[in-house]
Amino acid sequence: MRISFAAIPATPEGTVAVGVWQGRKPCPSFTRLDGDGAWTKTLKRLGFDGEEEETELFLAPAPPLASLVVFGLGKPRKLDLPRLRRIGGAILEELDDSRALTATILADLEPEQVAELAYGLQLKSYRPMRKYRTKIDPDDEEDVVPVLEEVVVACADPAAAAALYAAREQVAQGVFLARDLTDEPGNVLGPDEFAQRARLLEALGVEVTVLDEGAIAEAGLNLLAAVGRGSNRPPRLVLLRWRGAEEKPLVLVGKGITFDSGGISIKFDDDEMDAMKADMAGAAAVMGAIRAVAGRKARAHVCGVLALAENMPSGSAQRPGDVVTSYSGLTVEIIDTDAEGRLVLADALAWAARTLDPAAMIDIATLTGSVEELLEAEHAGVYVNDDSFARRLLDHGKAEAEPLWRLPLTESCDEDIKSAIADTKNCAWGEVPDNDDAARFLWRFVPEGLPWAHIDMAGMEFADEDDPLCPESTTGFGVRLFDALAGG
Amino acid sequence: MKIAFAKPSLPSEGAVAVGVLEGKVLTATALALDAKTQGGIARAVAASRFEGKKGQTLLILAPSGLEVSRVLLVGLGKAKEIDALAAQAFGGTAVGSLLTSGDGAAALAVDDLADSPLTTAEFAAQAAFGARLRSYRFDKYMTRQKKEDKPSLKKLTVLTEAHAEAKLSHARLDKIADGVFLTRDVVSEPANVIHPESLAERAETLKDLGIEVEVLGEKQMKKLGMGSLLGVGQGSDRESKLVIMRWQGSDKKDEAPVAFVGKGVTFDSGGISIKPAGGMEDMKWDMAGAGAVIGAMAALAGRKAKVNAIGVVGLVENMPSGTAQRPGDVVISMSGQTIEVINTDAEGRLVLADALWYTQDRFKPKFMIDLATLTGAIIISLGHEYAGLFASDDKLADRLASAGKAVGEQLWRLPMGEAYDKQIKSDIADMKNVGGREGGSITAAQFLKRFTNDVHWAHLDIAGMAWGKKDTATCPKGATAFGVRLLDRLVADFYEDKK
Repeated sequence: MRISFAAIPATPEGTVAVGVWQGRKPCPSFTRLDGDGAWTKTLKRLGFDGEEEETELFLAPAPPLASLVVFGLGKPRKLDLPRLRRIGGAILEELDDSRALTATILADLEPEQVAELAYGLQLKSYRPMRKYRTKIDPDDEEDVVPVLEEVVVACADPAAAAALYAAREQVAQGVFLARDLTDEPGNVLGPDEFAQRARLLEALGVEVTVLDEGAIAEAGLNLLAAVGRGSNRPPRLVLLRWRGAEEKPLVLVGKGITFDSGGISIKFDDDEMDAMKADMAGAAAVMGAIRAVAGRKARAHVCGVLALAENMPSGSAQRPGDVVTSYSGLTVEIIDTDAEGRLVLADALAWAARTLDPAAMIDIATLTGSVEELLEAEHAGVYVNDDSFARRLLDHGKAEAEPLWRLPLTESCDEDIKSAIADTKNCAWGEVPDNDDAARFLWRFVPEGLPWAHIDMAGMEFADEDDPLCPESTTGFGVRLFDALAGG
Repeated sequence: MKIAFAKPSLPSEGAVAVGVLEGKVLTATALALDAKTQGGIARAVAASRFEGKKGQTLLILAPSGLEVSRVLLVGLGKAKEIDALAAQAFGGTAVGSLLTSGDGAAALAVDDLADSPLTTAEFAAQAAFGARLRSYRFDKYMTRQKKEDKPSLKKLTVLTEAHAEAKLSHARLDKIADGVFLTRDVVSEPANVIHPESLAERAETLKDLGIEVEVLGEKQMKKLGMGSLLGVGQGSDRESKLVIMRWQGSDKKDEAPVAFVGKGVTFDSGGISIKPAGGMEDMKWDMAGAGAVIGAMAALAGRKAKVNAIGVVGLVENMPSGTAQRPGDVVISMSGQTIEVINTDAEGRLVLADALWYTQDRFKPKFMIDLATLTGAIIISLGHEYAGLFASDDKLADRLASAGKAVGEQLWRLPMGEAYDKQIKSDIADMKNVGGREGGSITAAQFLKRFTNDVHWAHLDIAGMAWGKKDTATCPKGATAFGVRLLDRLVADFYEDKK
């Protein structure tokens, strides 16, 4: 959807959205539209108070209006940026319902507020993939295709708002990329196809390096190779580098299991295996973040590492009990081939630490079902080995509405992942905190002294229809957080 | 760990382990130490709950008056009950306490005991055997082991008046320990390291001991008509193998051999009838039967047993894939009998069916004994105390049970019969590979019996015995090599040339 900025028109026409403060206090644009006060009376009759995110759609106003959306702005001093984004998202839903092709939003706000509202509008306007739908049922409300193509945001200083929005548009495109990738079925997006999509970022000035199965073997990324060996589609390691500043890079590492059947430790029916096409949402978030920083030409040095593999059972698959020498040299006993994400991440983290000289390193993964049970997909779990780094992450997560909850790197987990045959094992059976064990496992592959965080985003990759900034689809969780952290 | 024998003398460094009989009765060396410490040893015993019972230990650090770092008192129990197994436990228990103590050298005192059924030399040799068995470690994949977890003990000297005789007697036992260690190694290895081809290669190292080793690949097995074994391996990328080991130790070259047959499923995922994930890592040791046969052959050849012995192991990996066998498949075994594969996770018997038939067909042995981690049902019925013994011949069954008792690898005989045999009737083939849930170990044995061609035969279901979850006196937790000492003893007691 296109978003543009213009001056406030003298006579608004077509489909128009206009704001009202809490207590039905009108914005100037509303007052002008209201003329004789008929709209105010209507709002009063409907009990519309102007609370934040409150909206009303009027489909038959007097011409030249085609339809009118009134949106609540809440109280002026409480109108922070996260709220503006949510208001933008709420407006988008009404504009979609109006079936208009184009619309004008009358925004009597400061330029940054205008830009943020437009950002929320754009994020919510994501259209889930329809390319595999060959038939649409016109009678099914769920099947109705949105038609809105362009929104003009009218404000006092359109040039300033447009300039502030430009960067946000790039981040939104990064989010959309992550959502698209996460939604792709496993047959379409395997490790190599994912790597090919990554190559497309070269057009934005991103350096892209792809390690194929030969290079992976040569580099000694044996855990990544082991996870991928059951599939006919070999693994890939992708390095994306945005060199927007001469500094040590922020390194983002994403788990990219393009499909996770569990391998020989195969999942059961009730594991909802179809959702396992999204077990690469961590890698998608990393790629989306690189798209965002490159798109807005951030003055920052950011690297993305995608650990891509398909986890399948077969005659060449790895077995429970196998012992593998990791890239770092630590030996790992594979107890459960379905605890594969931590294996690919372990090699990717160790490789990134050794080859990229990071300032800090974050991995992100749909890693454990146990974190989902714990946090119920309201927060992603975050494990951090450095308190000030943790605070930065938590603050950015809050500001970007990608909330994190810090969880402990518990020493007692070491006992769980102690192996009788190797330096460590990938998980333990029975009543153990698998999310904590996984974090503790990953930490072993991070060099001492390097600030590192592990984000377990299991459950956060899907949004329901109530999400203020996302339709019912994949979320692209992580992109905005990483973009904000990268700064520049 | 190196083992040496020497005349008794009080050591001036390292650790020293001495025996104490039940009732806190110090043995001769213990008494000598006690004298040197002005009664310190006796005082320490008095202050403790140590009674000298079998398996008890008391560690005394840096006793005053002695130059040794520590004195370890090891309970011997009652003197008249000290048999070979008790002597092994004595040595093993001492090593268990001292292996990671920090000491590089230790002395183990074996004193004359008037009431023991063993000679002092035999006592010393068996104690050394037990010590070595307990010293086993499989830590080649441990790259970050803490110093305190690493074995420190490099040398154990057994102090005994009968040192020359003990050394001679121990040399023979040491070859058996070599076989045990070989088995423990191959059973402990993960399945990405030990697979049919690499296990066959390990078996080929037995050539150094004078064993003839042949390895058949899939092409040759196909020619032989081994459809039952090949069906199991067809899901894996790894090629199935059949390994034939032949030891001609008897002076009578034409004497019919004894034959041992091992199940060697190097990893058992269950195939298309895939297992639940929990605990599946244990299935790397689903080749422990084959491991035991290889180790037993090494033991026999190592000690130059005067017997003709055949070892045959069927090596496959059971994996699900686009080429794997399916439930409902019918395969034709080498014997010509057809089998309906109901459950691809009852694969061990399919491997053994062809291996048994091949063995009797080619070698016309006196008898065949197969070893297999065959059924979970045997663990339900016998736990981890006895292996299940099934036999078509009472004499062979009795001899096996007696050999097992002598070496501490116990067997319990279970019944067979027509009623059980009926359970594996198939509607489409001569038999199916599983009966019902009931009597699962027995119906498995009935299945195997159909491939023995009436040759005397015994089947050992070692599923509950191949892997130990905790340390015992002579075996650290992990692979036990169950079967190696048993088969060696069976041969030694009943089937070697008479002198």
